[in-house]
Amino acid sequence: MRNVLRLVWFDLKPEIKPPVWIFIEWFTFTMQLFIYGAIISQLVKTQAIANYQQFYAVGFVVMMTFDIGSHAGRSFVEHAHEGRLPYLLSLPISRSKLFLSITLQGGAELAIMLTVPLALTLALLGNLTAISVAAAIATLFCLGFGVAGLMLGLSFIAFKSSDMYSAIVTGLSTIIIRFSTVLYPLIFLPPGYASVAALSPLTYGADLVRLLLGFDPSMLLNPMYAVAVLTALAVCTLGLGAFLLQRLVEGVKSG
Amino acid sequence: MTELRRILRLARNDFSYFFRTKWLMAVLLSLHLSDMLVVALVYNNLMTFNYFSFFVPGVVVMGLFAAALDTGRRIWLAIREGVIQYYLSLPISIYGIVIAYLLAGGLAAIVYSTSLLLVALIVLPAQAVWSTLILLPFLFVLAMGLAGISATLAALASTHGEYFFAYQQVVQVLLVTLSTVFYPIDVIKTYLPASLVNIVSANPLSLAAEAMRQYTFAGKPIQPLFLLNILLTSIPFAIVGAASYLTALHGIQVKGKL
Repeated sequence: MRNVLRLVWFDLKPEIKPPVWIFIEWFTFTMQLFIYGAIISQLVKTQAIANYQQFYAVGFVVMMTFDIGSHAGRSFVEHAHEGRLPYLLSLPISRSKLFLSITLQGGAELAIMLTVPLALTLALLGNLTAISVAAAIATLFCLGFGVAGLMLGLSFIAFKSSDMYSAIVTGLSTIIIRFSTVLYPLIFLPPGYASVAALSPLTYGADLVRLLLGFDPSMLLNPMYAVAVLTALAVCTLGLGAFLLQRLVEGVKSG
Repeated sequence: MTELRRILRLARNDFSYFFRTKWLMAVLLSLHLSDMLVVALVYNNLMTFNYFSFFVPGVVVMGLFAAALDTGRRIWLAIREGVIQYYLSLPISIYGIVIAYLLAGGLAAIVYSTSLLLVALIVLPAQAVWSTLILLPFLFVLAMGLAGISATLAALASTHGEYFFAYQQVVQVLLVTLSTVFYPIDVIKTYLPASLVNIVSANPLSLAAEAMRQYTFAGKPIQPLFLLNILLTSIPFAIVGAASYLTALHGIQVKGKL
């Protein structure tokens, strides 16, 4: 376990020394919530959403979870191309431990980045129980791991062209966010968009977190579907990631 | 070959590099088209006023801003990867290199935002499309100003590695959030203090978005004073950007590094 933790620290150190990106993420969240979210909230006039700023705060936390998870998956591929991963593979450590260290590093990064945004969101919502907060955090982690695994799963494209991989995953990320319930409830999406949103993992993540934090269930998806989809996503994509690490990674071309 | 032709050749090279960066095109197009065709449309269902017609011109201005800011990334890459040493070995002055980058940045932003404007004109009826032709030179100067901001950031961050992207994100969030791209000034006045409202009003992004809403889409007669305001708020950024980049290039020329 010491070797795993050493590897986690090896990858985490550049992120927190100095913690520039952590502060930037927190700054962005604060600006978005207290300026953009607050002003747009005054424009949103619908009975379904009493306070859009609260709705947006949860949505932005889910969006950040997606970004951080996606970043973890993408850096894995970047490391493969830059030669850092082959170095890690040459270390006297089993593949399963290496996979565990990558997963733990992603989880630790997610926890650090979300601390302030989640605390501000919970303070804004108020009136929450410890169980609902814990369940919401567990959902965010499940989503984060699922997204990281998804980006890792797409890494087979990087075997052909890393430029094409970057283009596909960054373009796809934007589409996944926009066609989801992160920024607006499903009932307000036009039918054509709603059917696409049903394919986005963020729809299930955002709706489940909102349900756990006390939002009106009538505008959210059935939580049973959300739990099933998020669990399946995390298990399948992480399984795929573990498989890729065992079998394919050494085939990645460098440069 | 004259200096002017060398500047134009260098500008053309940088201009084409912007459009050849596949991942960047994927990010920008997916971001702005989905903002226009998804976010604006769905928010319109949540609001009592026509948010779609308000936000679509704002997306065009955001596209201009994002494309202009990429100039800084290209400058930063050139400094980091040593391409700048190659440029300095060319028979072109450092003033020429600076002008070429600002021209390319402005032009890339105009071409990219014009493509967004064409989509906007399809989804949103415009009352005076020809007013856009009058706006274009002013938007070009604005884009050069925004490219100047990113050139300043690139010059500042060139010795601090990845910090460039951090600086860029802070500037991007501040300039876009404190503008009328997303929300009307009347609503901003009810929420933000007067000092910040003044900043929002003077923000060149607010001016450009308002010009596009009023003159291109609403068809109101163009006010020369308003266009002058766009120039007055943009030119200082272009000058500061040019001076910063020039200083960085001079440093590299003298010491071989920053």
